[in-house]
Amino acid sequence: MASAFSKRLYGIAIVALALASFPLWASRYWVLVALLFSLNLALSEMWNLLAGYSGLISLGQQAFVGLGGYTLAVFSMYYGFPIWLSILIGGMISVLFALLISAPIFRMRGVYFAIGTWTVAETLRILFSNWKYVGYGMGLFVKPAYTLSFNTIFYAALLMGVASVALVYFILRSKLGLGLMAMRDDETASETLGVDIFRTKLICFILAAGVTGVASGVLYLHNIFIQPFSAFGIDWTVRLVFITIIGGIGTIEGPIIGSLIYVILQQWLSEYPSVSLLILGVIAIAVILVAPKGIMGTIQERLGFEILSPRRK
Amino acid sequence: MLSILAGLKNPIMNGLLLGGLYGIVGIGMSMIFGIVRVVNLAHGDLVILASYLSFVTLSIFKVSPLLTLVLVIPAMFLIGFIIQYYLVNRVLGKDMNPPLLVAFGLSIILQNLLLLIFTPDARTLLTDLSITTLPIGSFLSIPVVYLVDFILSLVTIFLLSRFFSKTYLGKAIRAASDDEGAAELMGINAKRIYAWAMAIAGGTAAVAGVLVGMTFTFYPHTGPDYLIIAFGVVIVGGLGSLLGTFMGGLILGLAQILGAHFLGPGFQLISGYIILLVVLAFKPTGLFSKG
Amino acid sequence: MANNILRVQQIDVHYGDFHALWDVSLDVEEAQVVSIIGANGAGKSTLLNTIAGVKKPSHGTVQFRGSRINGIPPYQAVVEGISMVPEGRRVFPHLTVLENLEIGSYTPKARKRKNEALKKIYELFPVLEERKDQLSITLSGGEQQMLAIGRALMSWPQLILLDEISLGLAPVVIKQIYQKVKQINAEGITALLVEQDIQRSLKAAHKVYIMQSGRIRLEGRPDSLSQEQIRKAYFGLSDLNTKPEAEKEL
Repeated sequence: MASAFSKRLYGIAIVALALASFPLWASRYWVLVALLFSLNLALSEMWNLLAGYSGLISLGQQAFVGLGGYTLAVFSMYYGFPIWLSILIGGMISVLFALLISAPIFRMRGVYFAIGTWTVAETLRILFSNWKYVGYGMGLFVKPAYTLSFNTIFYAALLMGVASVALVYFILRSKLGLGLMAMRDDETASETLGVDIFRTKLICFILAAGVTGVASGVLYLHNIFIQPFSAFGIDWTVRLVFITIIGGIGTIEGPIIGSLIYVILQQWLSEYPSVSLLILGVIAIAVILVAPKGIMGTIQERLGFEILSPRRK
Repeated sequence: MLSILAGLKNPIMNGLLLGGLYGIVGIGMSMIFGIVRVVNLAHGDLVILASYLSFVTLSIFKVSPLLTLVLVIPAMFLIGFIIQYYLVNRVLGKDMNPPLLVAFGLSIILQNLLLLIFTPDARTLLTDLSITTLPIGSFLSIPVVYLVDFILSLVTIFLLSRFFSKTYLGKAIRAASDDEGAAELMGINAKRIYAWAMAIAGGTAAVAGVLVGMTFTFYPHTGPDYLIIAFGVVIVGGLGSLLGTFMGGLILGLAQILGAHFLGPGFQLISGYIILLVVLAFKPTGLFSKG
Repeated sequence: MANNILRVQQIDVHYGDFHALWDVSLDVEEAQVVSIIGANGAGKSTLLNTIAGVKKPSHGTVQFRGSRINGIPPYQAVVEGISMVPEGRRVFPHLTVLENLEIGSYTPKARKRKNEALKKIYELFPVLEERKDQLSITLSGGEQQMLAIGRALMSWPQLILLDEISLGLAPVVIKQIYQKVKQINAEGITALLVEQDIQRSLKAAHKVYIMQSGRIRLEGRPDSLSQEQIRKAYFGLSDLNTKPEAEKEL
């Protein structure tokens, strides 16, 4: 079984441990960067699982961001649930919602699926904005989060980041992953070989929903304030799309590079959020035109190696 | 019963008229989707870009918003051509995703550019028409601007259909959309044709943008709202016919206004979304499609 | 010796890694009817597509009226005077018969003489005039073939490429169409035909090429080739053994 835990996995573990040590020696600024990096990583690994491996371009992951965040707020504040439990419930609610919409949503293919997911998220946005229970569009403060220390939240975020990478890695090396790779190569052919396409995609969709929901809970521990406009906004997807494209769609390491670039860019230009998005958009288009496989994808193609290889050896 | 119906006449009228506006918003997207087989995720932002261009022209020349079309249409025409020729054409191929993602990137760039240049303030293309209503007899009262929107939409769509059936370029576009390879054998440079098609779509976005600006307020991030509307119009109305797209607009407009009437103003958009989701799930080719 | 309007010299054509045409050469004289015969997969359509500009050869040249045309796009080839009737006809389904023909005169030069061309096409294929406002998909297979040929003629070509025009048609209809091809050729238009039907080709052509597995196996005037030679070339058999060999018999 030594082959399953190759040197490369150890390398990633080392990086993770290094990040974990940040609170001991790094400035708060860098811990924050690492926190945001980890959360963006979790979200984009999930988006990558959908778009890069399952062929599902979802423009509606923000539905689960909002659901996760609001669950945390509502359960911890209104019902006094422990914070971490509320976050987990947020993941569950995301999973349930994904299951709920899966029947109609999976009837839509390709771009129809994309717009369908986006419409669902927009619908949620409007519903929450009109819902007295959650304070309409004015939003909620996640008061219980005040009791947590910054470092605690950081470690939760780091856990999410590492867990998401590990999850994708192990999925791809599993039987499900074989099915995914076959689907990616040729969907019709894989079906004739017995790959249950619908079930495979559904599992990925639900997993992504759950992880996104939980990661969002941690995110809102940090943000403290949640409102429909931003929680269910398309901006989330914008970031995930750009991160994944630039980093390399369809590679496990892609979102790692992409998230790093994004967070650094965002912090550097924190005074001018539109400029950072603008630059991101320009870079993303340039990448699609010139190196459509993104940074990691192009490196892998040129040099022929993969840091985290999903191939069983 | 009668009083319910009587109470409905205004919403129905308004819904239909609004639907006309939605129709012209959707035409550009319908064209590109049907001809180049690309969903232009930046379409809504192009409409809003046109609104801003009109705004700028208004600030300089102080004319009626409709007159700004003289400048805005050619500008959007050019922008559409350039986008297709230099960007989208480069990534056209078997994979549907790159053009989709390029359009997405373009959408974000446009929104943030507009944000930087014009600030997040709400804008509108002010005109006397925007606030007057026209009483018809004693039992109907419609906002004049809705009527203007409807008429101009109809006129534009009519002109467009003449273009496609009477001109060589129009026929070439139809031929290329039927069979790109065969069209090239006739001497048609398909990539250049797609650029012209996109230019025309830009022109329709220009009309849509000016009308939208006259009817509602707009912000740099209003684009995606109209993208979903355009998509709704195209999906509900179906591809392949201009008239079908227009009908899609009417249905969507009706759904929105009636939804707002029965459920409250906050539900106007949602009513449209529900219709869109239902059609997407059960007949994505559209209610009026030629198949 | 009359002019060589078309000269294909030693071309190789690939589809990705797949080597489709091997060292293929072809000469067509003006106003000739030349036939390319071969079984499925022999490479005939690939050859035609390369001449029309749809494929680019990886080696070799294609010369038309003295100038190099290999590598020019298909919409340029039309301007040069080459017109293709593609395999499967590929008429534009959402356009009427008349609109299909009009698209045939898309190039500026042809557009000026559109009405003149229409008149000639209607004379050649009266049924097209009858059905000119009908959508092209409502036409029968034979009528669609005539439309495809008429459409190709609208650009006043000097060389017309016809890819498997007998496919899916009844013998009576095929005979009609070949008569029209003869008429067209009589006006001075050079025709390069691809056909699976050996007998039909031999009857219609001044010169035939027989292809197999991407190579030219045999060429010559129909009356100078024996059945035995043709059969061997078509199936890729040689005199020495039953394995296909890369030999050209002249």
